[in-house]
Amino acid sequence: MATIELSHINKSFGHGTSQIDVLKDINFSAQKGELSLVLGPSGSGKSTFLTIAGGIQSPTSGSVQVEDTELATLSAKQRDALRLDHIGFVLQAYSLIPYLTVAEQFQLVDRIKPTGNLSASELDTLLEQLGIADLVHKYPSELSGGQTQRVAIARALYANPDIVLADEPTAALDSDRVKVVGGLLHDLAKAQNKAIVVVTHDLRLRDFADHSYEIMDGQMHED
Amino acid sequence: MFLALKEIKHEKLRYGLIIGMILLISYLVYFLSGLAFGLAQQNTQAIDSWQINSVVLNKDANVNLNQSMITTSEAKKLTVTNKEAYIGQAPVVVNATDRKKDSAQFIGLETNQFIAKDLVLTSGHTVKAANQVVADDQLKQDGYKLGDQVKLNSLKQKFEIVGFTHNAKMSVAPVVYGEMATWRTLKNLPTSFKAGALVSKTAKYTTDAAGLQTYTVAAFINKLPGYSAQNTTFTFMIVFLMLIALIVIAVFLYILTIQKVQNYAVLRAQGVPAKVLVRTTLSQALILVLSGLVLGALLTWITALAIPTAVPMSFNLPILAGVTVGIIITGLIGALIPVRVIANVDPMTVIGG
Repeated sequence: MATIELSHINKSFGHGTSQIDVLKDINFSAQKGELSLVLGPSGSGKSTFLTIAGGIQSPTSGSVQVEDTELATLSAKQRDALRLDHIGFVLQAYSLIPYLTVAEQFQLVDRIKPTGNLSASELDTLLEQLGIADLVHKYPSELSGGQTQRVAIARALYANPDIVLADEPTAALDSDRVKVVGGLLHDLAKAQNKAIVVVTHDLRLRDFADHSYEIMDGQMHED
Repeated sequence: MFLALKEIKHEKLRYGLIIGMILLISYLVYFLSGLAFGLAQQNTQAIDSWQINSVVLNKDANVNLNQSMITTSEAKKLTVTNKEAYIGQAPVVVNATDRKKDSAQFIGLETNQFIAKDLVLTSGHTVKAANQVVADDQLKQDGYKLGDQVKLNSLKQKFEIVGFTHNAKMSVAPVVYGEMATWRTLKNLPTSFKAGALVSKTAKYTTDAAGLQTYTVAAFINKLPGYSAQNTTFTFMIVFLMLIALIVIAVFLYILTIQKVQNYAVLRAQGVPAKVLVRTTLSQALILVLSGLVLGALLTWITALAIPTAVPMSFNLPILAGVTVGIIITGLIGALIPVRVIANVDPMTVIGG
């Protein structure tokens, strides 16, 4: 059984003549141990796909299953709990709390989810891998765009989720950092048996993916 | 609490300004409460010191001691024990050679009744003759001394100050105690008038005298000239200040919350329950309000130490506690408006493209 499975997903906004079909009969599955890449230009429906996969919004029709749980059967609170315990989000912007230092971003995760997070040594290793070990006492305003994004990735991974959903995680990174992040996400999928789904228009990540999909005009095709 | 404290620590100027606003509002509320209580006390200090529970007045006097008179025939129908005392009030101007004129309230007493006997003096002795008076300490502060021969209004007769007593004020004027005969003289009344009123320590003192009526001491105090209007004015000012506090806290927290919606949306996307964010906002409001209150109380205390004694400022712990709880509650009510915004934060807003 797939860790995350979307079947016949349709998502429409508006009604009647103003109705826009953002996603059309999407079928997608991601397994643990795999990095799946969903490519597509801006406005293609990538983010809508990601939010539906993460249980942030519901599809107009179709089924979403995460760890064998049908999301439609869960209440809003249960979906919150599922995201907190099983899904790590890496977001494109506004991803860090501006008044917390890098170290405190991880402390916040500990306070909200006290168990199941990475150990101190595992966090140190992660920060070393991402090249941000020396930034722990800095505030987000003191970080570059690339550093901010790497801290956001570390924070999502710190909660040790089974599934990582990343929205343009390399948008602000140079090619060298893209390789580091792409390699890290790939290794993480393999070594820690996580299902990682990245939506992006960054073709540089293609080399690290086990599966690549493309969303175009609301329809998904595997490359 | 973690997020609340970290944000306040990081945004010192922003939150310092909010605490400053709450400080100023709470300072004003404490200050006005102190003035209101101080003035109320100066209206009733003397009455409070008598420890009475009911007052018998002429029923046509509109519960006004100064307008009330009890005739000797009415007095015969009154039961007078060691818990009752006759009093008579007359506004006077106290004057003596080389002394400033002081407006005062003359209270005529029967020297053998409890008010005269229980009077606590700070110096001198009680009234023992018709030409003697005991005055409130304010006259001492104004330069009067024991042994001074004072004139009351335009009476030719002079009265000797034989004692001073503390906290004896009525209608925001110092009280001058003397004999009932002096009261009759001041009022230009014949001896057929016994007194202005009979006060009793008994809560349910009753009388059959047709022209008289018994009032509770609370009703009597409430009818003191200006007392009710003055207290209502202060109460309105304090209530409006609390409403302003509510609006200020609500507006500030609302603006701050709107600025943080993106951050909260990220946390919501990550599965952080809305109740955690609501708790953060409420605890932040509580920290801000408590900090403002503590600093406001401190500033009020310093002001109270520095303020001239002529300013009738006085503090009462239950009133201060009530005001403090009132501001905390209004602060938390103010915080409920941004709480609605937080409860409806949409994580979709931070996932774009």
